[in-house]
Amino acid sequence: MKKLLTLLTLLPLTLLAHINIAVSYPYIGALTKTIGGEHITTTVLAKGNWDPHFIVPRPSLIAKVRNADALIMNGAQLEIGWLPPLINRAGNPKTSPSATTFLNLSHHVELINKPSEVNRKDGDIHPDGNPHFHLDPKNILLLAKTIREFLISIDAEHRDVYEKNYNDFFEMWNQKMSEWNQKMSEKKGLKVIQFHDNLAYFNQAYGLSNIGTIEPLPGIPPSSRHTIEIINLIQQQNPCCILHDVYHSTKTAEFISQKTGIKVVLMPHDIESLENINDLASLFDYLTSAIK
Amino acid sequence: MKKILLPSVLCTALVYGADILPPEKRTFDQSKFIPDISLIMDASYVDRNVKDAEVGHLEVPGVVHGLLGSHSHGDDNHATYNAENGFNLNYAELVLSSSVDPFFTMDGIFHFSENGVEIEELFFTSNALGHGTKVKGGKFNSNFGYLNEQHHHAWDFADMPLVYEAFLGMHGINEVGAQIQWTAPTPFYLMAGFEILQGENEQMFGKDTIDLTVINAAANPEVAEGDDGASLYVGYIKASHDVGNTTLLGGISYAQGESRINHSTDDEGPHVFSGDAKLYGADLVILHALDSYSSIKLQTEFLSRELDGIQYANDTLGNFISPTMVKKQNGLYSQLIYTHDKNWRMGVRYDTIMQNDVEKDGVMIEQPDGLDKYTAMIEYHTSEFARFRVQYSQDYSMFNEDGQREKINTIILQANISIGAHAAHSF
Repeated sequence: MKKLLTLLTLLPLTLLAHINIAVSYPYIGALTKTIGGEHITTTVLAKGNWDPHFIVPRPSLIAKVRNADALIMNGAQLEIGWLPPLINRAGNPKTSPSATTFLNLSHHVELINKPSEVNRKDGDIHPDGNPHFHLDPKNILLLAKTIREFLISIDAEHRDVYEKNYNDFFEMWNQKMSEWNQKMSEKKGLKVIQFHDNLAYFNQAYGLSNIGTIEPLPGIPPSSRHTIEIINLIQQQNPCCILHDVYHSTKTAEFISQKTGIKVVLMPHDIESLENINDLASLFDYLTSAIK
Repeated sequence: MKKILLPSVLCTALVYGADILPPEKRTFDQSKFIPDISLIMDASYVDRNVKDAEVGHLEVPGVVHGLLGSHSHGDDNHATYNAENGFNLNYAELVLSSSVDPFFTMDGIFHFSENGVEIEELFFTSNALGHGTKVKGGKFNSNFGYLNEQHHHAWDFADMPLVYEAFLGMHGINEVGAQIQWTAPTPFYLMAGFEILQGENEQMFGKDTIDLTVINAAANPEVAEGDDGASLYVGYIKASHDVGNTTLLGGISYAQGESRINHSTDDEGPHVFSGDAKLYGADLVILHALDSYSSIKLQTEFLSRELDGIQYANDTLGNFISPTMVKKQNGLYSQLIYTHDKNWRMGVRYDTIMQNDVEKDGVMIEQPDGLDKYTAMIEYHTSEFARFRVQYSQDYSMFNEDGQREKINTIILQANISIGAHAAHSF
């Protein structure tokens, strides 16, 4: 009986001890959970196998934002098309961009490909630079550190836990990075084609060079004229392969592959975007062994 | 000469002075505080089998007249969207929005048309209250039902569903007032909202005092007595649930207010209605996402209204009469939209007014059946910011002044283009 009573009094306390953090994408969820450990729960808003630019703003996501104690987003306008109305409708001051419980990760890494001129005639560009920065494994460490500081700032009581979890992760990740560096060293200098330049940071990290995209401009679907240009480009420059995301149709890529003989390689962009990719390490394990 | 020289030197100095400094060095530069701005244009080419002069005189019997085309009330010129055969510039919508301070945001939505400027919406919103509570004040689209809150450019068809336009007019419930909404702390979406509005809808709600002597100099009473203050109350509950990649959103809504429908200055058969109005709504949206860009969406809304009051008019001999009048009417629309990819969308819609009971002095007045409309559309998007649509509709709901049904076939070619800030869409 006594045990039951203690359990009952402890129950609400343990519930309170959990900080419920809403995050926009699965990779942020995994990283936050790694650093936060048992003291936090994460609620991921977007699905990993969907285009991160286009997430259906389902009303259930409003409920998730409404019930969150904090919100971590990717930023750099990746969520611009779907997250603002969810935040507006949730009526939760803790997830307001001005709140101390709100974290925009893009403010803590260096963005590349920032356009010198911002004009929609160049397609649906990201004025702050390429937002897919988490695909450079070095940035993952920066993000982990940012999340550690964020968690400490909202829950100083568990500072030790967050620091320890970060240190463990740091060690594991460094080990993994040298493994990946080794695997990718022979790929350095390879030319690649993509659908959309979402591997810009990955390519930079491992010295791959992107020579063209199947979409003529960011966010503009393939056209036959541009496809012919890409085929000519491939014949001139001999890239190794077409690195393709999992959410666009591979129809055009398959056509180009048929015409030129180069391979189409599916490249997952996030956790759960392909089967068996359940954590950050397996995401990069896959990416670094995808190009044969 | 000197007098001219001095100002011109000063002007040159000012112009150059402004140009010399780069923006980041202008001490008092406030350009970073410019709100998000977007401009949306909507234009169409219309081919309708009924002449423009005639279409404004058609009516949905027992429900509304003058629904289509353009018509004037004195100095006031009204036109619905796509009013005329040939080219129409429906509107330029200017949207400005920004945070006011840490506690509020403000949004302004202005419709510029060739008839002038209308404040479509202008409101402040507070999210700072917490506990899932959101408060809004100003002029805004009520959250009654599903479609009412959306602007024209977010609709899946170039025109409003028949039941909405017939009961509430082309702006729906668009009023000055206050709104409070509360999202429940449940794992699924559950939201309840309440609004107090001024109540000035031309077709359904109103509270003005109306001079009846305009209808007939011998009118008794001389005026239909009005009411001061806010007179329209709206409440709703919405809930949503996900099943895999399928999202269901359902809601029930209720609106109640004073009703004054003023047609005292009409050339033919001037009349005024004064009484109370109630509006019930039920809506259901089912969206099945096939992938990031492709989906199937079923959207259906049922509206039912009750008007209870007195009609003031002249009888066939020109004598002033004031019978009691009760209208019980309902209708629905149901639409299915298939989004193929980022470029192509297509859809069909069925509209109908089902119940149409009009009772004068306790005597039921027979109304025609089969008030239906069928619409199909196909859209091409060059990007998220530009949409071109072809829409074809067959409308069986309109009758001419002789009480004859006029089947209206309409083809609308619509262009909807936007520039500026990225407008994120709600569900």
